[in-house]
Amino acid sequence: MADEFNTEGMLDMYLFENEQLLEQLQEMVLEQKDADCFDEDSINEIFRTMHTIKGSSGIMMFDNITAISHKLEDVFYFLRESHPDNVPHLELVEHVLEVEDFISGEMEKIKSGQGTDGDPSELIEGLNQFLDKIQGNGSESAAKGLPGNVHEEPKQFYIAPVASSASRFYKINVIFFPETEMANVHAYKVVYALKEIAEDILYSPEDIIADENSAQTIIEKGFRILLQAQASEEEVRNIIGVGYDIEKVDIYECQAEEFLQGFDFGEEQTAIDLESSVEEIEAKKAASEEGKKEDKISPGDFVIKPKEPGKPKKLAKDKTKSDKATFISVNVSKMDMLMDLIGELVISESVVMQNPDLKVPGLDLTNFNKAASQMAKISTDLQNVIMSMRMVPLTNTFQKMNRIVFDVSRKLGKDINFEMVGENTEVDKNIIEHISDPLMHLVRNAVDHGIETDEERMASGKKEKGKVTLSAKTEAGKVWISVTDNGRGLERDKILAKARKQGLLEDGKPDSAYTDKEVYQFITLPGFSTNEQVTEYSGRGVGMDVVVQNIQAIGGLLEIESTPGEGSTMNLKIPLTLAIVDGVVLETGTSSFVVETGLVKEFVSVREDMMIHEPSGDEFVMLRGECFPVLRLGDWYGLKDYKQSVEDGMMVVLELDGKTICMFVDKLVGKQEIVVKPIPSYIKKIKGLSGCTQLGDGSIALILDPSGFLE
Amino acid sequence: MDEISKSKKASVTSPEEEHDAQKGMYMTFLSGSECYGLKIQYVNEIIGFQDITPVPETEDYIMGLINLRGKIIPVIDVHRRFNRDPFEYNDRTCIIVVDVKSTLVGLIVEKIAEVVEIQDENILPPPSISRVDRSQNKYVYGIGKVGDSVKLLLDPERLLNDEEQLTSEQGTELMVDGE
Repeated sequence: MADEFNTEGMLDMYLFENEQLLEQLQEMVLEQKDADCFDEDSINEIFRTMHTIKGSSGIMMFDNITAISHKLEDVFYFLRESHPDNVPHLELVEHVLEVEDFISGEMEKIKSGQGTDGDPSELIEGLNQFLDKIQGNGSESAAKGLPGNVHEEPKQFYIAPVASSASRFYKINVIFFPETEMANVHAYKVVYALKEIAEDILYSPEDIIADENSAQTIIEKGFRILLQAQASEEEVRNIIGVGYDIEKVDIYECQAEEFLQGFDFGEEQTAIDLESSVEEIEAKKAASEEGKKEDKISPGDFVIKPKEPGKPKKLAKDKTKSDKATFISVNVSKMDMLMDLIGELVISESVVMQNPDLKVPGLDLTNFNKAASQMAKISTDLQNVIMSMRMVPLTNTFQKMNRIVFDVSRKLGKDINFEMVGENTEVDKNIIEHISDPLMHLVRNAVDHGIETDEERMASGKKEKGKVTLSAKTEAGKVWISVTDNGRGLERDKILAKARKQGLLEDGKPDSAYTDKEVYQFITLPGFSTNEQVTEYSGRGVGMDVVVQNIQAIGGLLEIESTPGEGSTMNLKIPLTLAIVDGVVLETGTSSFVVETGLVKEFVSVREDMMIHEPSGDEFVMLRGECFPVLRLGDWYGLKDYKQSVEDGMMVVLELDGKTICMFVDKLVGKQEIVVKPIPSYIKKIKGLSGCTQLGDGSIALILDPSGFLE
Repeated sequence: MDEISKSKKASVTSPEEEHDAQKGMYMTFLSGSECYGLKIQYVNEIIGFQDITPVPETEDYIMGLINLRGKIIPVIDVHRRFNRDPFEYNDRTCIIVVDVKSTLVGLIVEKIAEVVEIQDENILPPPSISRVDRSQNKYVYGIGKVGDSVKLLLDPERLLNDEEQLTSEQGTELMVDGE
C-alpha cells in the first residue's frame, strides 16, 4: 500500500466514493437482473463505474482492486462497443456481483486497517473465460467487429433518430475582442451558461480550462460551439449574451446530421457529459488517453468519441432521470451539537417571549409580537428540519435484501421474484442500523424455508412464481416493515410437536387450546427450528430469537401471520426514532420525571381505603377488584418533600412485560415529545433511569425505565 | 468558544505541548478558608450558579445535572467532595466547567478568586504528614506559592474519578462518602 505519502484524507474519500459507486452499481444490476440484457445506459454506467474505481484504486495502489475492476471494465468495454448477442445475462450479472463483492470485501479490509490481500486471480480468470465466450459469440453473430477494429460506419447514425424531435441544432461561433484577457475563461463561462439548456454541447478548442494557450486560439479563430437544445435562436443568443468581452456571436441553425458530423474543421472534439460527475469525465478522458496510448489512436477510438455528441444517453430534457438525491456526509456529533443548540434556542426564545420585563403595564407590544411570532415560526421549522435530518430512507437496506434474495435463491435453485414496497419510508438512522440484521434473517428464512422448491410448488399446484415482498409503511408514529412470502406457510402441527418435545407446552393443555399466534411465537424462542436440515443459510435454530431480541432492543415487536400452503408474513413494528419519545411528564417532590407514553396504561386517583398495607411495608392498591403493587417514586429514590397521602397524588398504572405496577407520583404535568439524551457517563447507572431530557423551560427531567423497578 | 475548548482539550491530552500562554497559569478559587488552584487547561468555562436537577442514588457530592446550552453535564460540589459540611449557595457561588479527558463536569465552588501564574519551581509536593484532612490531600498534587499565600493545586482527574482506587488504598473511611 501507499506508505510513501499520506493518504489519510484521500483514503476516506476513496472509500466513501467507491462505496457509493458500488451501491449504485449493485442497485442497477439487480434492477435489471430479470431483463434479458442490460440496456445501453447501464452498460455505460457500469463501464464508467469500473473505470472510476480502477483509476482511484490505482492511485491508492490497491493493485488487486485495480486489476479486477480493469478486467470487468474490459468486459463492458467489449459489450459497449461490439453489442454482442447471446450474452448469458445472468452469468454476467453474477460476474458483476462477484466483482462488487470482492471490491467491497477489500474495502472492508482497508477500513479495518488491513492490507488488501484478496486474490482476484480466480475472478479475473472467470471474467477472461466469460469474455472469450462472448467474444466468440460476438464475432460470429454481431455485425460489428471487436474493439480496436475499424468501424466503417460512424456510429452517429444509430443515435441520430433518438434525439428528441423538439431539439434544435446550432452552430455557434463566438468572437471575443482581441484584447480580451484569458479568453478561455470567458469561453468557459459561455459553455457553462449554455449547459443550462444544452442537451448536448461540443466546443472547440476543447481544452479551454486547463490549456492556457487555448485563449490565443479562441481570440484568433473564435470559439466554436455545437449545441443541441430545445431553445430558439433568440434564447441561445440571450444566454450567451453580448458582454464587454464578446464582440460578436454568430448562430446558425443546422440539421441533426450536420450536427453529428461535428466540426467540419476536423479538429479534436470534446463532449461534455452533462450527467457525469467531474471524476467520471476525468476518468473518461483518462480512458481515451489510455486507449490512445495502447492503440496509437486507432480508428476505433474515434468511433467512440464522435458517438458521444449525439448520444442520447440521458437527455436531461427528454428522459425523466431518476431523482438521485445528492448527499454530503456529516459527522453525527456535529448533528447532535446542532440539535442541542436548536433545543437551546427554543428555550431561550421562550425566555425572551415570557420575559417579565414585557409585562410592564401599558407597553405597546404590537410590533414586538409580530416579530416574535415570525421568529417562533422559524425556530419551529428549524426543529423540524433537524429532526428530519436524522431520517434516512430504507432504500439501501431494502436493496441489500434484494441482493440476498438473489444470491440465496440462485444457490438454492429457486425461482423467486423479489418485490419492494415503500422503500422510501424514512426511519431514524440509528434504527436502520438495528433492523438490518433482523431483516436479513427474515428474508433469508422466507427464501430458504418459506418458499418451496420449484418441484414442490408444481406438486402443490401453485402456478405463480415464488415471491418475497418486502414492504414498509409508517402508521401511527411507528414503522411497519413486513416480509411476506407466498410459500408453504408455517406448519402449526410441526411447531407444536417440537414445542412439546422441548417441554414448552403446559402439561395437560391440548394442542387446540393454543391460538395460532401463540404457536407461531414458539419459533422465536432460542434453539427452536423446525427445519430438520441445516442449510448454508438457515436452520440452525438461531435466528428468529436473535431477530426478536434485536427488535425488542429498539422497542419494536415481531408479529407472525401465516396461512398454511399460502405463505407467511412477518410484521415488524418499530419506532420511527430512538431519539424522540412520546412521554408523560410527572413531578414528585422537586424533581421531574418522564415515562414513555406507551408504557402507561392509565392514571388513577385512589382513595386511602383502596390501599392495602402489608406489615413488611409493601403496599398494594385494589383497582376494580384487582390488586397491584404500589411503588412510591419519592420513596424509591429517597426524594425530599413528596406527598405522603395517596389522596393528594396520582397513581400511574404502568404495564410492561405483562406485569402491572402502580407508580405513585405527586402530580402529572403533561404529555409531550421529548428528546432523549443519555445521562452523562460520569454518573453511574441508576436503576430505573434510562436517560434524561430537557423540558420546555430548560429544566432537566429524568426518564424512567420502569423495567428497572421490577428487577 | 469551540476553538478554545478544542485547544484546551488538546493540551489536556498532551500536557507537554501546552500553549506557552497557558503554561503555569492556574485558576484559583476559594472553598472554605483554603484557596485552590486548577491548571487552566482543564477549565472550559465558568458559569454562574444555576438550578441543579438532583439525580437520585448518586454519591453525596454529585449534586445533579445542569443544562449547559443543551448539553447535560453533571455537577459536583467541591466542598462536599472534601468531606466538609455543605455550604449555602449564594450569588457568589460559581460552577467551573472542567474538561477532563473529554468528560465535562461542573465544579461548584464558593467563590472564584483569580488566575495566577505559578512557576514550576514555586510548586512543592504536598507535605507527607498531614494532620487532619487526609481526604483532601489525595486531590492535591502540589502546593503553589504565590507571594505570601499558598494555593493548593488540585488534580482534577483524581478529584473526579478514583473513588474505588482510593478506598482500597486508604482504608474504608471514605466508603461512607461513596454510599
